[in-house]
Amino acid sequence: MRIVCPYCGDRDTEEFIFRGEALGRHPGLNSDEYAMFEHVYHRTNLSGKTSEHWYHVQGCRNWILVERDTLTHTIYSARLAKDGES
Amino acid sequence: MILKGIGYVDEGLQIEERQNVAFASILARKNQNGETIGELIGGSLREGPLTTILGDTVYIGTGPGSWLATSSTKATDFADNLATKLAGRASVSDQSGAYCVTRITGDRARHLLQRGVAINLHPDVFTTGCAATTVIAHIAVVIWQIDISPTYDIATFRTYSPDFRHWLAHSWRSF
Repeated sequence: MRIVCPYCGDRDTEEFIFRGEALGRHPGLNSDEYAMFEHVYHRTNLSGKTSEHWYHVQGCRNWILVERDTLTHTIYSARLAKDGES
Repeated sequence: MILKGIGYVDEGLQIEERQNVAFASILARKNQNGETIGELIGGSLREGPLTTILGDTVYIGTGPGSWLATSSTKATDFADNLATKLAGRASVSDQSGAYCVTRITGDRARHLLQRGVAINLHPDVFTTGCAATTVIAHIAVVIWQIDISPTYDIATFRTYSPDFRHWLAHSWRSF
């Protein structure tokens, strides 16, 4: 599988570290127990198109927001996570 | 092929370890970019995996808002001078002891490199002024193309340079 890094271009996945599902922002330190539980433990674990965070450790060292199909490994988009959330 | 010395020459291929090369990393501060940083050093730093040559220094794009500056010099104050010039707009740290640079040039240079690099080095997409931060045999490398001979400079972390040389020798033997 190859990911088109927005900075480096087309690269093999061995250059990346997979973090997991792209979640919403941290609920905040004053949030209730349930919100924190949701954030830390709950994943939708979609079978199909999903958004993920990958870190380009052997490249530009940036977090990449990747839209990927978990069944086919088709990659629909990849952009710098710091440029904003989906 | 023995690479313990300073280099190696054969038809269509020349491999040389560059000596006295200074390095410094440049990280843009908030709201700064290649243009605003570059104007302090007499030009504009190109954004993207590309090189910018200003005076006797090559600035290699290694990520958004980050560059690796390199120069052929014995001077130990390369990074300090750069830090002084870029004060307030970028953070500079000396990397001179961190990298070793191998220069590969000749008709067969691309062929040799392509055995380890999992990106396309065809001249249509990777030519003079292009750079890449990637891996060769799991060894982190920064590659930049100097001319259309082609000539490539490959920087590896210093402690990995014997492993990189081993990869070079191994790949070369299988030509």
